[in-house]
This record gives sequence, C-alpha cells and structure tokens, in this order.
Amino acid sequence: MSVTDLINRRDVGTFASMRLRAQDKLCLAEPISLAKGRVHEVTGGSADMFAVLAASRLRGPIIWIGRSREINSLSPSGLQGFIDPARMILIECISRREVLWAAEQSLGASCAQCVIIELSSGPNLRESRRLQIASEEGGGIGLILVSGRVQTSACETRWHCEPSKTGQNIWDWSLTKNRKGELGTWRVQWSNPLKRGGAYETGVIHLAAATAA
Amino acid sequence: MRRVLYIWLPQLPLDLRIRKQDPRLDAPFAIISEIKNAWRITHLNETGKQAGLTFGLSLPDARAICPTLLTEPSDRTREDALLRALWRWADALSPWVSPDPPDGLFLDITGCAHLFGGEKEMGEFAQTRLSDMQITSNIGIADTKTAAWALARYSSTDIQIARAGQTKEALSHVPLEGLRLDPKLSSSLRRTGLKTIGQLSDIKSGELSRRFGLSLTKSLSATLGYAPDPVSPKSADTLYAARMTLPDPIGFKDDLLNVLERLTASVCRRLKGDAKGARRYYLTVRCVDTGDHTLQIGFARPSYEKAAIIQQFERPLDELKIEFGADWFRLKAAHIEPIQPFQISLDQHKQAEGDTSRVISTLGNRLGFDRVRQFMPVQSHLPEREFVQVEAIDRREAVIWRPVPRERPIRLFNQSERLVVLEPGRPPKRFQWRKSVYSTYKAKGPERLSSEWWQEGGGAVRDYWQIQTESGPRFWLLTYPGSDEPIWYFAGRFP
Repeated sequence: MSVTDLINRRDVGTFASMRLRAQDKLCLAEPISLAKGRVHEVTGGSADMFAVLAASRLRGPIIWIGRSREINSLSPSGLQGFIDPARMILIECISRREVLWAAEQSLGASCAQCVIIELSSGPNLRESRRLQIASEEGGGIGLILVSGRVQTSACETRWHCEPSKTGQNIWDWSLTKNRKGELGTWRVQWSNPLKRGGAYETGVIHLAAATAA
Repeated sequence: MRRVLYIWLPQLPLDLRIRKQDPRLDAPFAIISEIKNAWRITHLNETGKQAGLTFGLSLPDARAICPTLLTEPSDRTREDALLRALWRWADALSPWVSPDPPDGLFLDITGCAHLFGGEKEMGEFAQTRLSDMQITSNIGIADTKTAAWALARYSSTDIQIARAGQTKEALSHVPLEGLRLDPKLSSSLRRTGLKTIGQLSDIKSGELSRRFGLSLTKSLSATLGYAPDPVSPKSADTLYAARMTLPDPIGFKDDLLNVLERLTASVCRRLKGDAKGARRYYLTVRCVDTGDHTLQIGFARPSYEKAAIIQQFERPLDELKIEFGADWFRLKAAHIEPIQPFQISLDQHKQAEGDTSRVISTLGNRLGFDRVRQFMPVQSHLPEREFVQVEAIDRREAVIWRPVPRERPIRLFNQSERLVVLEPGRPPKRFQWRKSVYSTYKAKGPERLSSEWWQEGGGAVRDYWQIQTESGPRFWLLTYPGSDEPIWYFAGRFP
C-alpha cells in the first residue's frame, strides 16, 4: 500500500490499530488518558506543560520539533523539575514543511514514544492523517502544540490548557474534541513527592476539581 | 647490526605539481612560505635556478631578479597527504617505516635488503619506483638514523651507502649540519672553525660537552652508533575507501546505485572485518563535464551497515545533476571508531538506542546535523548560561543533570523583550506583552544576580521577579537596578 493510498483511505486507524490494544493508553490521572499510536493536539498558554507532563510518564527519548524561536527558548533548567533534559532531542526546522517531515520521520520510529511538534497553526486534514499513520506505525504519542488557529484535523483529541492563578503547578485542562469518548474539564495539580530537580520519577497529577463540559 | 635507509624527497611540493602536470612549471616557478615575517623561496624548479634565483631569497628580491617568476605558497596539508601516501607505499620496501615530516621517510631495512639483491639494488629499486611516480628522491643508507639522514642530504650522489661499521669514515667529510643540531649550536661550532663531522669526532667528548653542552655529544654518539637511536615504526592508519572507474559514463539512478552498492560492499566488508564503523561517508562522483562532486552523509553511531549507507546516499544522489554522466566514483569512510556488536534479540534497550541514532541520522542528513541537538549543562549562575545545545551526533556518553537550587522558567527568552508598562510599580501592576494585557496578582522577588565579571560582556547586575498574573500565567520579569525609571523586560515563562 503506497503512502497516497494510505492517506486517501477513509477508515484511518483500522490498519494498524488492530495491533494496538485497547489498554494501550497513557493515563495521566484517572480519567485523563491519551491513546498511544495517535496524534493529539494541544492549545492554550500552557500547552507545552501538558506535553512535558505526558512525556514524563513515558520512557525513551523526547523528540521536540519546532522552529528555531521555539526550540531556542526551551530552558532545560526549568524543565528538569519534570523530565530529564538528557532525554530531549531538539530538532530545529526552518519551515512548516520541514517540521511536518521531521515529525513524520520521528513518529514512524519505534524508539520515539513521545514526539512533541510545535506548529503555528494546526495541521489540516491531510497533514494530520499523515502524522496519524506515522504514529500508528511507531506506536508512540504525537503531541502537536498549536500556538495559533486550529483546523479540522484527524487528530484523536484536542486539549486546551491554561495555567491557573491559584498556585504553582496548577492547570486547567479541558478536552474540547475527542473522537472516542467524552469531553470534560479538569483542574489538575502536579506535585513531586521528592524535592524539585534531579528526581525524574513521575510526579503525581492530582485532580483538584472536575467539571462537566 | 641495524641498517637504516633514509629517503629524502628534496622537492616534494614541486613534485606534487609536476604530478598534476601544472603548466606553470615550464616557466620559473617557486614555492614560498612565510619565514620570520617574510615570504621566502623554499623550493625552486630548474628554470628558476637558471634564472639566477636561490633558496631562501625573499619574494620581493626574487621578483626583482626574475620578473616572470610565478609563485605559490606551500600547502602543508596537501604535501603531508602525499608524504602519507608514500609512507604507505614504503611498506613495499620494509615493514618498519616512520615518516620524517615534512619531506623524508626512515626505513629500518635490517634483514630486508637481500630480498632486493643488496642494499645498492634496494636503493635503486626505491628510486626507480619513485621516479616512476615523478618524485625526486635522494637515498642514504647507514647504521644509524642521523647518519642515513646526513648521507641522503649532504652527498653528491643520489644513493650514498655507508657500509656497516664504517659510519665514522663515511661521515668524515659531511658538514656538521648533518648532525641535525640546533641552528644556534651549529653556528657557534662553525665560529670555532669546526666544519665537518669528522673534525668533531676527533675531539674528546668530555671537552666538547664542557664547551658546547651535552646535547652535542649526545647527538654525535647517536649518529656514530655509540648510543641507540631506533626507528620507531608507525604504520599509516588504514584507509577505508574504494573507488571505481568505468569505461563509459553512467547517469541513470539504478546504475549509480549499483556502483554505490559495490563500493559500499567493499568498504563495509573491510570495516566489518576490523570490527570498526564510520560516522561519516564521503562519495566523490566525477562527472565528465562538471568535475568532482563530493556527497557526504553522517551517522549518529559508527556504522558499517550497507543498506543504511545506500539509503542515506539516495537523496543526495537524487539531487545531484548529472547531465552527461559520471565515470569515476570513490567512497571513503571517515571518523572511524570501533564497534561493539550486540545481540539484537536479547538486548531491547540497545535496540531502542540503535533506533534513536537511526532517527538522528535520518533527520541530520536531511536537515543538517547542526539542527539536531541536545542539551548539555554548563556551570554558571546566569540563567541563559546554565546550558548549551550541542549536536546530538557528537554526544557520546550520558550527561548527568544536577538539581538546580532555584526555580527557573521552562521558556527562556534570550533577547529579553521589553514590556509596555501600563501601571507602574515595582514590579509593574499592569503591563502589556505580545498584544496581551496582564495584571499582577502576586509577585516574588527580586532575585538579584551579579554579572560574570570574569567574562567579557558579563553585563550588569540584574533583578528577576516572579509574577503571578490575574489571568493565570506566571512570568519572569527582568529589570536592571540602579536607574530612576526602570525598564522592564520579559525574561521567561514558568510552567
């Protein structure tokens, strides 16, 4: 089956998803979970923290793909409270085309359990399908951080994440699109039982409050 | 008894051009290099000598004597490459070779000469072979290194042999520069009237050392064979390269890949046999009309996998414009490193590692390896100097990140952006950044960081404030204390 055939087929997700079992999910905090072998969109002011927390629960390298402005603004001294910066592989691209190409290549590799892609405007149907197929092959999670407008896409879920003023490491996550499942809004708090820095064991994500969408 | 053969290549830089059939060599031509702030002639061709030029002449003088003189600065890299090639070639004469840069080779020929029918025949053989390669040589054979060196350089014949045990006699008329002394020492020896090695060897060594120091007697006894001075052999490092010349040019992609496959097979077989892998591969394609094109690929891990090399070369080969075909190809492996083989089925961790480096290679070969990076910690207290990004392909071992004592933002803006302060305060009560207006809910600070005075451009003292805004985001603001009207900058964003 060529790539064009794969893109044009209507039932995206059945080919490789037969191999993906139902429990192939990454649970951030009950009931918040992300399906593996899928691509997810994240928007909002703390979209990157959503991706970082998801990455902290996965093993292997974290491939972070973006334009030079985004890649060069990442600060490992802040991120190391959540993840081990040595896991990060940064890919600096100069165009959207390159970002998408690099994302497809990385998602297709089985080592990449977490690929974080920064885009100014969301992927369209065609682009997101390609990414979706690549991530089905690799079995990892693709997280697209959209800083601008979102478009209709084949992504599994779409999250909107904003920081909350009530304290440090508290965020409001709302699930605004879900292909399989319900929507919802949660206030989550992250706390690491160990002292900050150096301890990359997964911190605990608490549900502070939950409201129905 | 040791026997040493020295090959002196008196005009190696010129031979380099002669081999390339440089047309300039018909006219007066000289190789120049910068010696003590002046460009001086170091090598000269025959026509140049006939025009009245000599070695060591400064370039302006030489131009005045011979206005048609053409010159070229010496190119040490290319000359060294030629010497290295000859070093490998010299393996045919003796297994015990060491180079004597810039223009000589020492060969320990003990027990080798009879294979060529004697020392004289061996010297002639070497010289014939070298002149076949259009390289001029002088050969000296003696019991010691320095003696062979002196004979090759300071004798009238092309091949000069000092018979075993007769070093002293053979060197008696050689000027004392043949001892490879410090130029200062030899000039002070000349001032006392000593001119040849023979004159020196007649004097008692105690007197010599009292007058001129131990270094003179040491080198004298090494030359005459009283003290050991062995040839320390060094084998030239193996080249992993293969080339192919075709009778007719080719241009179709299938044909190119076919050639590439054969070249890779040959290079990889040798790499694999030595349990080595290469991080870089260079493929030179000589097109009949446009000349040489060198394509380059890299790997994050040393590799000798044929399929991977061919796969990575496919794209650059596609992009190469071959209009009239190419008929000469050369594949060279560089950055050779030993490979530790591992069992794939049992070691899943290693397999994932291999997979990661494959991704890095694929991305790096297309985007450029400078754009695939990883973080490295740096010792500094300034937030923007706490880390650097290094090329992922260069990072070999795991890095340990030490915990930071202070809270740091996850996004750091290096060129701090200036805020528009709407309602002043310390920190500002309301401000605008990137088209959004924020008002301060809580503030923590200042965190005062002094400059790195030992660094150039360490900067001024800075105050950092953590701002919790009403709308949610936490920012890191920066101001420079000491001014009446403080200017606020946006330094970073917290999780």
